[in-house]
Amino acid sequence: MDHILSIVLFTPLVGFLALLFIPSSKPAAIKLWANIAGFAGFLVCLPLVFAFDRSRDFQFAEKVPWIPSIGASYNLAIDGYALLLVVLTGLLGFLSILASWAAIETRLKEYYGCFLLLQVGMMGVFMARDFLLFFVFWELVLVPMYFIIAIWGGERRVYAAIKFIIYTLVGSVLMLLGILALYYEHFRQFQVRSFDVAQLMNTQLDPNLQWWIFWAFFVGFAVKVPMFPLHTWLPDAHTEAPTAGSVILASILLKMGTYGFLRFSLPLLPDAAKNPTVIQVMAVLSIIAIVYGALVCLMQKDWKKLIAYSSVSHLGFCTLGIFALNPAGIAGSMLQQINHGISTGMLFLIVGVVYERRHTREIAEYGGLLRSMPIFTIVFLIAALSSMGMPPLNGFIGEITILKGAYQVSLWWAGAVVLGIALGAAYLIWLFQRTMLGEVSEKNAALKDLNAREIAVFAPLLLLALWIGVYPKPFFQVMDRSVTQIVELVQPGAHAGQMVPNRLASLQR
Amino acid sequence: MTGVPLSWFLILSAVLFSLGVAGFLIRRSVLTVFMSIELMLNAVNLSFVAFSYQLKQVNGHLFTFFVMVVAAAEAALGLAIILAVFRNRGTLQVDEVNSMKN
Amino acid sequence: MPDSFIPTSAELLRILPEIILVLAATLIMVLAPLVKGREQNALGYVSLYGLVAALAAALSGYFDPGPAFHQLILVDGFATYFRVLVIFAGILTTLASYQYLRREDADSGEYYALLLFSVSGQSLMAASNDLIMIFIGLEISSLASYVMAGFLRNRAQAIEAALKYFLLGSFATAFLLYGVAWIYGITGSTYLLTIRSVFERGAQTPGILLAGAAAALIFVGFAFKVAAWPFQSWAPDVYQGAPVPVAAFLSAGPKAAAFAVFVRVFVTALGPIGGRWEPLFWLSALATMLIGNFAALVQTNIKRLLAYSSIAHAGYVLVAMTAHSEIGTAAVMFYMAAYVLMNVGAFAVVAHVCGRQERFVELEDFAGLGERQPVSAALLTVFLLSLIGVPLTAGFFGKFYIFRAALQADLVWLTVLGLLASAVAAYYYLRIIVIMYMHQPAESAAELPPLRGALGAAVWISAAGTLVLGIFPSLILNFAGNSALLAR
Repeated sequence: MDHILSIVLFTPLVGFLALLFIPSSKPAAIKLWANIAGFAGFLVCLPLVFAFDRSRDFQFAEKVPWIPSIGASYNLAIDGYALLLVVLTGLLGFLSILASWAAIETRLKEYYGCFLLLQVGMMGVFMARDFLLFFVFWELVLVPMYFIIAIWGGERRVYAAIKFIIYTLVGSVLMLLGILALYYEHFRQFQVRSFDVAQLMNTQLDPNLQWWIFWAFFVGFAVKVPMFPLHTWLPDAHTEAPTAGSVILASILLKMGTYGFLRFSLPLLPDAAKNPTVIQVMAVLSIIAIVYGALVCLMQKDWKKLIAYSSVSHLGFCTLGIFALNPAGIAGSMLQQINHGISTGMLFLIVGVVYERRHTREIAEYGGLLRSMPIFTIVFLIAALSSMGMPPLNGFIGEITILKGAYQVSLWWAGAVVLGIALGAAYLIWLFQRTMLGEVSEKNAALKDLNAREIAVFAPLLLLALWIGVYPKPFFQVMDRSVTQIVELVQPGAHAGQMVPNRLASLQR
Repeated sequence: MTGVPLSWFLILSAVLFSLGVAGFLIRRSVLTVFMSIELMLNAVNLSFVAFSYQLKQVNGHLFTFFVMVVAAAEAALGLAIILAVFRNRGTLQVDEVNSMKN
Repeated sequence: MPDSFIPTSAELLRILPEIILVLAATLIMVLAPLVKGREQNALGYVSLYGLVAALAAALSGYFDPGPAFHQLILVDGFATYFRVLVIFAGILTTLASYQYLRREDADSGEYYALLLFSVSGQSLMAASNDLIMIFIGLEISSLASYVMAGFLRNRAQAIEAALKYFLLGSFATAFLLYGVAWIYGITGSTYLLTIRSVFERGAQTPGILLAGAAAALIFVGFAFKVAAWPFQSWAPDVYQGAPVPVAAFLSAGPKAAAFAVFVRVFVTALGPIGGRWEPLFWLSALATMLIGNFAALVQTNIKRLLAYSSIAHAGYVLVAMTAHSEIGTAAVMFYMAAYVLMNVGAFAVVAHVCGRQERFVELEDFAGLGERQPVSAALLTVFLLSLIGVPLTAGFFGKFYIFRAALQADLVWLTVLGLLASAVAAYYYLRIIVIMYMHQPAESAAELPPLRGALGAAVWISAAGTLVLGIFPSLILNFAGNSALLAR
């Protein structure tokens, strides 16, 4: 068990390297191998779940010097929050490979290669405890994603891919600047060169420097989340990416941004994070994202774009929860990130299913699918209910917890959350009504319902959605120490009495 | 050389050098441009010799020989290139030897 | 004749790499008339063996550091590093040239002789400890490379490139020499260490004032060699006109050697008057990065695009020079290694794709390369990603060290602007990738032979180096860091 994180990290890489040796002329073998590698990548995550010790913070640690002269090391460890994201990445990585079985016909080797590489990068981001290593993985994720959008995407794929990568690159170079500033301040104080996040935490930063570093990080993370007004790459990228690409993009890549805020911005720069101006700016941007995202959804004619904008709105909840800076807000935000991964992942898969059959994303082209595709309709209904936050599904738990956190801060924030939930319900129900109900046209009457493989893709996600909705306690327990730690760093002592998961869990039961 | 202060040599050298630069930038014929460069090198030689005399060293004198050798090599090479250009284009006007896009 | 005028064997050993290179070049010149026409390409092997022997000699020089010839030559870690680098660039160029020359029916021994002479000049520059020695090394390197640029003398663009390179090069050299003359006049010496000690003592004030002007003149001379503002304008024309392997060579060897002497002269000799030249470097670094990156955005010819990209990269290295610190010097050293690998690699792929008479050097000619030649396309992608500075490639750590050094020197604005410029750069590199993978193949496509032989070796070696340095930068970085101390 000593190197379990390395095993998790490098299993997809081994799969990738082996994939290179399968000749391109054997598409079936490539598909099969990619699925095996993806499944193996998920399976190796599972021991983490069982071996995880909830009473400790960072565990499964591995540390090997990498570039000793500048103090960078190959340093991995995960806490509860990272554990959830790692497992989610393992699961969705596999599902997105599985979901591509029939959708992708060209350049299979490159396609699956990109997905396996992407998996390595995403895992690395959530595991890295060395800031430079984190940055390396962070940037590494861009490259395969760029290719996935640009080669297998829709009509405007080149534009969308370039926009995606330029936005993110600009964001990340500024983030790098922040990292370096932190690194030097640490060096100045301790005369030790280190990128180890645990060591950097000891640095005493004056509020002014924190302020600048915070905004440098902000650009990097906010582009990724994406927060208003840096979100404009997202609708293009999501819409043009192939289905599996959208799933990964929405479910995992966006979480890298919120993960960055929670893992680095808050704990390393507590004074900046609780600066009233910062909180206000963050809250305003989040609320704009929530409301604006939802309003745009209401006007969308394009099914996939609608889901894309719904991400903007949902991630607004997550960032609002983070900057509530209280246990409920942060715990809710973390859970909501997982929830968004599950439910939006499903929604994109759903668009993929109909797109494979009809090759159009126009909502107006559909209608009455209930008649021709009953199982599909049920899946969509559950996914939509989960996304809009209906009990007893996962979205409800996440949103209500964030609502609680927001309410503790200000009534206005809570009002915005409620408005967002209401609008979310509106656009999803309307979408459901326009596509699934009503008269079925000729073109849609003959559509085939989900096949076994597609059901296999949806089943684990549906189960998870139901599990989190009905019995969220284990999830809160796993996150407990992560949440308390962050809150303690930002507002020492302020929320000492609140045992997050138990309170919330009891609230739900 | 007694009686002539160092600064006079330096000023003359600077004037020659500037003339060379001006010639390089203004003249249109490749050959004249090339001669302007030679003028610049000779201006440098003058400075070297003047400094060397002032410092009572022989080093500076030696440097001028190096510069002259290199200038000779450059001239041999430069004229060969200019010849090749002329064969190729039939002109030695700088403006007309510009087929690549800017 | 006094004893001290007769070189000792220890002194000769310290210039062994140059001796080997010159002997190999002479051997090629002697053999060339004896070998008929196309057989002359076999002289490429002589060139290769000579370079490998010189590489070994340069490496062994590291274990016997010290001065030679009355301090004119100084063999230390820094010199060894850059000697190895320029010789390595020579090896890659030889490998990349072999098939190219055959394709152009230009098999000729002279080409390799010129290459070796040029490399010997660069190697000498790396080990020079005296301004006049630097000048001589620079000229040996330059004179040979002027001819190389116009080597295919029937091609109008090549000869035009040679003319431009020659005229502007000589012009810049004159500035360099004038600066050297003034430094000599002010300090009474051309030895770098003596110059340093004079400035450290703080000589008479008028001299110090003039020293700034002299530094500017020397800067102009070197800026030409590295294609930095205000002397960058030759690069696009010369790279476009010169044969592709020569363009690869020009962008690697002379540039690496020029940065070596840049460091020697400015950090070692003129270090004490850093305040006088740092603003100039600051301005030049910024202008070079901006001009290079923004001009590259609109290029349609891949050679021109790579030329502007190489200008931009010179700008990044100047940022590290501006930092004027040991880690800045180490960053320059690391970056040059990364840059040589990725840039020569990229040019080598272009040499492979461009076809006879370089018919296919427009970006559109790379359309569909991802399907026609997946391996070539993948390798070019590696180089381009490295030029962008994506992690796990050498280019990332190169940029990382540079901007780290700049930030430590409190060059915050330069760092911010440089980082943003490098993000802009991603656009034009990605455009090549887009064309390779997303556009339909052009008609020219089918006739491309597989990437094999010497050219293939050049590309694979560069790619392997790019990735290895990207994952384990410590391999070189520690050495660079230790050697940077020497160049103080």
